[in-house]
Amino acid sequence: MIQKALSNFNQETEDPRYFQILYLGAFLLYGVSYLGWDVDAFKYGAVFLSAIATQLAFSYFTTKRYSSLKSALITALGLCLLLKTGSVQTAVLASILAIATKFIVKYKNKHIFNPANIGIIVAILVTNDAWVSPGQWGSDVLMWFLVGAAGLMMILKVGRIDTSITFLMVFGGLLFFRQVIYLGWEPAVWLHKMSNGTLLLFAFFMITDPMTTPNHKRARILWSAALGVALFIASGFFYIQTAAIWLLFAIGPITPLFDRLFVAEKFEWNTTKTVKTT
Amino acid sequence: MKKVIFTLMAVTSFGQLVQAFCGFYVAKAGAELYNNKSEVILVRDGKNTTITMSNDFAGDVKDFAMVVPVPNVLDRNDIQIVDRSIFQMLDAYSAPRLVEYFDQNPCTPPPVEYDEEMELDDVATTSMAKRSVLKNKAMYRVTIEAQYKVEEYDIILLSANDGGGLKRWLTDNGYQIPSKAEKVLEPYIKSGLKFFVVKVDLNRYNPLANGGFLRPLQIKVKSDKFMLPIRLGMANSKGEQDMIVYAFSKKGRVECTNYRTVKMPTGKMVPTFVKPNFGNFYADVFRNAYSRQGGDAVFLEYAWNVTPSFSGMKCDPCVGNPPYTKEIMMAGVPWANQNGVTTFFTRLHVRYTLDKFPEDLFFQETPNTEMYQARYIITHPAAGDLSCAAGKTYTEKLKLRRKQELSQLATLTQWDTEDFYDYVANGTDKVKSIEEDEENAFPILKLDNEGGGMLPKGVFGFTLVLLLLYSLKRVRVRFT
Repeated sequence: MIQKALSNFNQETEDPRYFQILYLGAFLLYGVSYLGWDVDAFKYGAVFLSAIATQLAFSYFTTKRYSSLKSALITALGLCLLLKTGSVQTAVLASILAIATKFIVKYKNKHIFNPANIGIIVAILVTNDAWVSPGQWGSDVLMWFLVGAAGLMMILKVGRIDTSITFLMVFGGLLFFRQVIYLGWEPAVWLHKMSNGTLLLFAFFMITDPMTTPNHKRARILWSAALGVALFIASGFFYIQTAAIWLLFAIGPITPLFDRLFVAEKFEWNTTKTVKTT
Repeated sequence: MKKVIFTLMAVTSFGQLVQAFCGFYVAKAGAELYNNKSEVILVRDGKNTTITMSNDFAGDVKDFAMVVPVPNVLDRNDIQIVDRSIFQMLDAYSAPRLVEYFDQNPCTPPPVEYDEEMELDDVATTSMAKRSVLKNKAMYRVTIEAQYKVEEYDIILLSANDGGGLKRWLTDNGYQIPSKAEKVLEPYIKSGLKFFVVKVDLNRYNPLANGGFLRPLQIKVKSDKFMLPIRLGMANSKGEQDMIVYAFSKKGRVECTNYRTVKMPTGKMVPTFVKPNFGNFYADVFRNAYSRQGGDAVFLEYAWNVTPSFSGMKCDPCVGNPPYTKEIMMAGVPWANQNGVTTFFTRLHVRYTLDKFPEDLFFQETPNTEMYQARYIITHPAAGDLSCAAGKTYTEKLKLRRKQELSQLATLTQWDTEDFYDYVANGTDKVKSIEEDEENAFPILKLDNEGGGMLPKGVFGFTLVLLLLYSLKRVRVRFT
């Protein structure tokens, strides 16, 4: 019986979302305990509760399958990591919207927008009380290594390594060319920009979501290269400091186009079958 | 030869020219605490930024020169001279503060006593139109885009094609520039920045006016970039430089976007003997927080709604007078006299070094209107006869509280509090070590520079490594 329970456990933990929850949770703890973020336990609690409640409510009225509570937790963690608000109401609004759009805004049974990202965007646009702090992670090189390594493991399990690598190579390459070769800054400037925690989290955790990235590998490479180029232009020439979240939002509606051009099977969470195919 | 002070704001940033350390104040810890410091006022309104640079230059005025990279060629109207007092005013208003409370005697309850520690241009003579000297262009690939005489200052706006040419132009025109500057000039030139070059015309300078100091320059620039180019100022500086940024915005707090913005510890109860040493105390609290954060963070020292029509408290407690419409306008806030427009004030403290701050400082306005102040609290013990039963309990509680205050002090400052046993045991404010050795009143406990920060970081790293190992195991399982 223990054997059976263990094998059940093993099978269940094949779902990469568990690791995602653990990693994001560790980052949240790190931010609060070491990076000196404002701790607002009440706000965090409200975000989690509203995310879970919204997910349960929508599941009840639609699929009646509750396994995607894990996704709700990931979205809530993402919001806690990225979104800053002046009030609990705004945080809850973002949380509800993030989950609700997963169910409402769909194309061919696939999300258009990254849930946490859309929650943040809408909160910023409608409330005037929400913002993101691109500097909150600092630029520790150790951070580079840890986020990178953790993210790498995560996406190895999901099989979406191509997006992160392509994105970082395209963005980093262009940035290196402009900052170091053309403008003549010391490489330390480039390194400082590249080791920004916000950029790394974006690369390893936000654009690797299999539900909002193209299904076909070639499409994903094009898609993430496009994001890299766009981020380079938006941040380097238009000085939009929070460009990443806006670009991810903007590319959402175009993603189905990539899926149409490059046809491949849609990703399914869980179970060893999908993981093995990657 | 003029010694150019190469920076956006830091006319005081260079060792040999800086004023001597001028001691401490009693209960506020203002900008004067730092040796190698500069102050700057930033006002952000849409794409417009008004930058006011403090000018504490203390050398011979004929040697003064300053080069500031700016995003566009400034109009004469974009350049103002303001009174030095604006910096003193904003500093006094927003400096970290010490407040004091008095315990009441439990044996003879008096009325509740609460006390707060209160510590306390004319149009330019000529405005010359754009003038481009052919020689400059040919020899140095430098163009004089504009030239103004603004009161005691001679101002030139230059654009250049390469760092070498600009350096030669400056040298040939009598400006002595740091040897490393050329390398730093290049990226600014290629980014399309212009150079705001300032020197003093001795004929128009009255050494008796303004206390012998040069007055602060205020410039208006228009750019998507909300930033301060600190890299030029580091061209020939080795050590740490402190900069206090007083920022005004319509929305809320201003924060740094490419470095972490961290709050200073606040609301901490500290021993009463901190009072006469508050300046030293805060300087060490800052140093400790700075190294704890790894030397690459920006610190929030004050954030408050200073809208003139704002009916709420302007400070709590006030260390200096809050700025009103006139002062806020002088700081460069154009909307200060408009009704219904918020003015939010943020004080940031940056201690930057060449290695930890490789990039210029970039900022953003946030809608965060939460008020914040760096505030420390002392509580004086009750006076009089404490021989009643309640008095005895009070004395015990007092000892406990004082122990906690000492341990708080040690945490905040890394001071060795061993020497202060009298403070707890005998309830005296007198500290033995101070009387014995005035110079070394506060032996600082030598701890590892990042002593405070390593633990959570280590725990974080360790957790991630465990998670990694676990995932690795799972991945291997997957492939088998």
